[in-house]
Amino acid sequence: MNLTLTMNGATKTFEAAPGETLLELLRREGYVGVKSGCGTGDCGACAVLMDGRAVNSCLLLAVRADGTSITTVEGLAQDGGLHPLQQAFLDAGAVQCGYCTPGMLMSAMDLLLRNPSPSVEEINEAISGNLCRCTGYVKQVEAIQQAAERMRSGGHE
Amino acid sequence: MALTHVQSVSQPSTLNEAWNEKASRGAAARFLGGGIDVVLFTPPSVDTLIDLSGLDLSGIADEDAGIEIGAMATMTDVMRSPLIGAYAGGFLERTLRQVASPLQRNLGTLGGTIASAHPWSDVIPALQVLDAELRLYAGESRSVSINEYLGDRAACCEAIIEAVILPSASKDRVSVYRFFTRTAFDISLLNVAVSARIEAGSWKDVRVSIGGRPGLAARQPAIEVQLEGAKPDDLDIDAVARSAADQVELRDDVRATADYRRELVAVLLKECLAELGGGGDGE
Repeated sequence: MNLTLTMNGATKTFEAAPGETLLELLRREGYVGVKSGCGTGDCGACAVLMDGRAVNSCLLLAVRADGTSITTVEGLAQDGGLHPLQQAFLDAGAVQCGYCTPGMLMSAMDLLLRNPSPSVEEINEAISGNLCRCTGYVKQVEAIQQAAERMRSGGHE
Repeated sequence: MALTHVQSVSQPSTLNEAWNEKASRGAAARFLGGGIDVVLFTPPSVDTLIDLSGLDLSGIADEDAGIEIGAMATMTDVMRSPLIGAYAGGFLERTLRQVASPLQRNLGTLGGTIASAHPWSDVIPALQVLDAELRLYAGESRSVSINEYLGDRAACCEAIIEAVILPSASKDRVSVYRFFTRTAFDISLLNVAVSARIEAGSWKDVRVSIGGRPGLAARQPAIEVQLEGAKPDDLDIDAVARSAADQVELRDDVRATADYRRELVAVLLKECLAELGGGGDGE
């Protein structure tokens, strides 16, 4: 089946099998920033933005994404520079092994796109579907707070 | 690949087209809503998926009969609707916020979670105590209560859920949902929803549903009768909850014993009654 996706801002056409998930399609097409974790929607490592909302790409059949806009971690950096959210994760020490980071960034982007000044409770809720076995989440929450502040004061979205 | 046995996905543009295809293919075809249950639990005998996303079933509107939620509305769509926030004191919004994770709520549809009819569903008990109705399509549209739908799966499961209707008559009820899981992200081991009207200081028209017994969530008429007309301030909610727990049909399964579940019923029901204003010796 042919699918048309707006992939990180560019219109692209892909061939997908009927029973293929979006995760499988994206990784096959080289978007390997999207991580394959549990495959059952529990860990959030595979999260991408679909029309601005973070979703588990392991639970989404590729055919259901036809016509949508998909953003992966590869689409965050612009003009050769990291997105303020990515930079904040580096600055706050919110990355250890890094496997959860792309999915965590997508959940944080979903939140920051609709709520520029989230509370800690709202951040905790937004990343509640993303498991991290390294950091204990404290540094990631701090990073998202830092990113929100930088984006409010003029960083790009 | 996730579903190697799926050979085709059809994308009908009308309800009749979708239903006709299901009727002709039988068990070899399955409806595709948000797709979570399809990805996780589709049996190898299914080779065709019928995608319902082209049927314009995702609106949420205030109609004469109540709030009509298109079956393809996601949990997030429902949670963020101002109509839902204003209905029954925001009960459904609060309940959905506790379902799975935001990542899954952005995918999962209200119709899909009902059609999947899992015993651990957090959504079904909440809809049961609101007395929700479903509009089904099977060649023509008809409305059934959610209890009728769940109680007669053989007759209902071939139909397409078009919409969930939250009746106007339930919009001023006070309602509470409680669940218990082994870990924060696990499915409910057991869950309880309670709803009532407050009339002259008493609970009226009380509805109680318990899921994860481990069977499909079901209303509990014996407990409802026990609570009907009670004056919350005077109620010994600990004694009532303990007594009610003895009346619930519970079983062992791989997740918990019936005895453990009985203890959960008592604890969760007591919490629900306390939140609804119940007090007395138990508090």
